[in-house]
Amino acid sequence: MGTFHHDKSELHGITVVVDTNGPKVYVGRCDDMDDEKVILLDVDIHEDGQNGRSKQQYVERAAKFGVWKKHERVIVPRAEVASVRRLGAMHSELGGAVTATAVAEPPKKAEAAPVPKPAAATAAGQVVTLTPNAQAEVKRLLANEKPGAGLRLGVKGGGCSGLSYKLEFDAKKEGDLEIPYDGFCVYLDRKSTIYLRGVTLDHQKGLQGKGFVFHNPNASNTCGCGESFSV
Amino acid sequence: MPYPEELVAPMRKELSSAGVQELRSAADVDNFMAQKSGTAMVIVNSVCGCAAGGARPGVKLALQNAAKPDRVATVFAGQDTEATQKARSYFADVPPSSPSIAIFKDGELVHFVPRHAIEGRPPQAIAQELTKVFDSVCATAK
Repeated sequence: MGTFHHDKSELHGITVVVDTNGPKVYVGRCDDMDDEKVILLDVDIHEDGQNGRSKQQYVERAAKFGVWKKHERVIVPRAEVASVRRLGAMHSELGGAVTATAVAEPPKKAEAAPVPKPAAATAAGQVVTLTPNAQAEVKRLLANEKPGAGLRLGVKGGGCSGLSYKLEFDAKKEGDLEIPYDGFCVYLDRKSTIYLRGVTLDHQKGLQGKGFVFHNPNASNTCGCGESFSV
Repeated sequence: MPYPEELVAPMRKELSSAGVQELRSAADVDNFMAQKSGTAMVIVNSVCGCAAGGARPGVKLALQNAAKPDRVATVFAGQDTEATQKARSYFADVPPSSPSIAIFKDGELVHFVPRHAIEGRPPQAIAQELTKVFDSVCATAK
């Protein structure tokens, strides 16, 4: 991921599919994104039905072949964005790289890589929800932390599926989203809210339990250990 | 605008030291592509660390495979623009991206790895994809 650009979004430099709640879908290289906008470079825009292709058919084709750049830079307002996914992840789902034979063929309907729908709102309308088990465990662990510390959740680049979850105890920082729970608060930085919207954090006890577990409806791919994911 | 050569030189060397032939002009590309028989691979190198940083070591790893292309060459996007443009003319049906990797058999494009299939992937995964193609289309080196 963004090797040289640590001040940018985790998806900086990565070709992404930005699906919207409307008829448009964008494919371009992510320059940066936050909770207000997604900035794309070298972009193609497709409208549902354009050239006889649905959004899904267009995305499948883009995943196989890439896109012909039509716009240098496009800013997509976050309010319009339904999902942001790595085009490369869809490429893998469709069976790998392009062959010359495939270039000449029309897109195949059967190999559809579904464009995910927007994450369902959590019960409390929050970005992240903690199950009662997770809340109890956080409270237990926080008893050993400095006063004022809360649970910080986030994402960082890395892991075998592209993005890893971050979970630590930390004080609130400027710009954080704060989610109050009984006895503690959850903090999320602005960039992480994009990836964690709709996520539920659970805690599994016992010999077979995995400890804290993230359930992410936005993840298109999750590694076996559950510590990393891609969107 | 091209990057300073001193910045790019190590990125060129990373491939050339593995036996990859550098094509710096359109004539170089045409000469390389003129030989139609057998298998050939052309790597479109790039400065981008987000993708090319994994592509170069991935290619080097893949070239350790028993079966590999008869001839391997590279052009550098954004640096050797004439050579890159000419190379892309040999796979003109595919949207241009860099880094990317094209594999030819008897002069025909048989496999193409676009940039978005390289981004964020470790060199081992890129090498794995390439060796799978090598095993399928290339002869084993004697």
